[in-house]
Amino acid sequence: MSEQAHHSTGGIGTISSGQQEHHDLQRGVPAVQVDHLHKAYGSLVAVNDVSFVTQRGEAFGFLGPNGAGKSTVVKILTGLITSTQGNVRVLGHPVSHLETRRKIGYLPELPNFHRWLRAQEFLQFHGQLYGLGGAPLRKRSQELLELVGLTGCERQKLGTFSKGMLQRIGLAQALLNQPELLILDEPTSGLDPLGQRDMRNLILRLKMEGIGIFLNSHQLGDVELICDRVAIIHHGQLLKIGPPATLFDEPLVLEVRVNAVSADLLRRVGAVSLAVQRDEANPLRLLVEVQDDEQAADVAAAVHASGTRLFSLQPRRRTLEQLFLRTIESSQY
Amino acid sequence: MGWLLITRFTLQEAIRRRLFLTMAILTLLMLVLFGLLIHAAIDRMQANHVANGTDPTLPTIYAGIAITILAMWLVYLVISTMTIFLTISMISGEIEAGTFVVIVPKPLRRAEIIFGKWLGYALILGLYTLLLSLAFMGIIYWFTGYWPTYAFAAIGMLEISMLVLLGLITLCGAFVPTAANGAIAVMLFMGAFISSIVQFAIPAQDYMVQNITAVISLIMPTDAMWHGASYYLFPAAIGVLQNFSVSSVNTPFTATQPISPQLLTWAILYSLVLPLIAILRFQRRDL
Repeated sequence: MSEQAHHSTGGIGTISSGQQEHHDLQRGVPAVQVDHLHKAYGSLVAVNDVSFVTQRGEAFGFLGPNGAGKSTVVKILTGLITSTQGNVRVLGHPVSHLETRRKIGYLPELPNFHRWLRAQEFLQFHGQLYGLGGAPLRKRSQELLELVGLTGCERQKLGTFSKGMLQRIGLAQALLNQPELLILDEPTSGLDPLGQRDMRNLILRLKMEGIGIFLNSHQLGDVELICDRVAIIHHGQLLKIGPPATLFDEPLVLEVRVNAVSADLLRRVGAVSLAVQRDEANPLRLLVEVQDDEQAADVAAAVHASGTRLFSLQPRRRTLEQLFLRTIESSQY
Repeated sequence: MGWLLITRFTLQEAIRRRLFLTMAILTLLMLVLFGLLIHAAIDRMQANHVANGTDPTLPTIYAGIAITILAMWLVYLVISTMTIFLTISMISGEIEAGTFVVIVPKPLRRAEIIFGKWLGYALILGLYTLLLSLAFMGIIYWFTGYWPTYAFAAIGMLEISMLVLLGLITLCGAFVPTAANGAIAVMLFMGAFISSIVQFAIPAQDYMVQNITAVISLIMPTDAMWHGASYYLFPAAIGVLQNFSVSSVNTPFTATQPISPQLLTWAILYSLVLPLIAILRFQRRDL
């Protein structure tokens, strides 16, 4: 995203002050209500008795590995598929309610758009589908192209766009209607690190503007950074729901690399930490569990006190897979 | 008015993907070649008559009638082929490409998407059918002086035939993948044509054959529509012409009677009801 884009509209300009007031009034009113949702394809159960509620203006993350049932839920929310059982309401209405759809923006996981369209035509067409038109739509399209860093690409055909550019133009079409709820399905998948960072920053800006976000992702970093609350889904079932801090509330694991591992070092480090063990993959590395940053500093001090040289000390974040295993294990009790 | 946007989008797509341009260039080429051919043939025939001291007027009219039948049969085949090729991916192709995923969640009914696309293609192919038919008949008229009395009734039959095929493809597009849709359309279209040939070859009193071909006409009324069109391509006062009668040109490609009102009604209903069923199916289809 260009710097110019960041400063273009004095804030994203997606929500006017009147709309902001409306959004503020609507805070606390559910954006998405999912009640005992069930979806089966023949004998294959994709979603099994899932229930949750998200608030307006809230950034809600839907986290799970591939095949967990995340996209199925998103497709039900956007009316692409119907549920087998259960009830879904978006912004207080059934998914089929056309006026409600006017207030929803959706970026699909795969940006499969009509390749023969030029960027400007693409936004014009989708804007017209939202009921927009004329000069306001042209202005809005231009603003959004600038916002997503595609200024100058108005006349370029989508067939010539890179994956990152398609994701960005896809996000632009989802913002055409100044949505109250933005549903994003894996918005950073397939993007390079720079593209991922830009997309993440853009979503954060939208969140700051007060737009409700439903973020479907398997990228732990994205969800943790952006979302107020997170739901973890696995094998079609909701395992856990809550703020990221509570979901990820677990001992911090430090990777400590030293020049030698002695019994004295292990004793000293063990005394100031929750647990310590040698890394099987690297004999000069210790894995140390601590409760907080203070304990991490104590570990560093203990290493120095033992006369050992400390090469590196860095936190090891649990992978999503590990987090899931933990969540699944804990859910069995 | 979401359907209007989808119709406009379908037309825009046809233009932008150079569909119109390709169709126009190839059609123009076909018409020029046809014009040159008919010019050479009629010129030679008239020259022979003049050389033999006979009046070429009536033979030229006879030739005009025969050429009209053959040319319009060609038009029927071209239009049917175009209908299959252009519309085969109308619904299933979009589903397979994933392009509906960003359109369906918008504030418009699914029925509007299907109706809009159907209408767009119906307009494109309807206009093409009209222009191609008029162009061929115009060329024939220019060189032979023959213009079918009920030319527009014949064109109307071809339009219904096109809509029948479009209706079938729309229906199948909502149920089966693109490849299967194409196979169904081609097989039924060819099956209807083959049944006409079989019916022509078997004696008229074979009721079993008649019943089978009647059922095939109900399943796929395109060939019945062509036969209806062919009847209207003959001159109204055909009996007046010496040595020329409808029965004398009774072939698998032509009809000696107009299409029955019941079959015509069936074909019209067919072309309208099948897209409606497609809409109903698409309403509930998971994408």
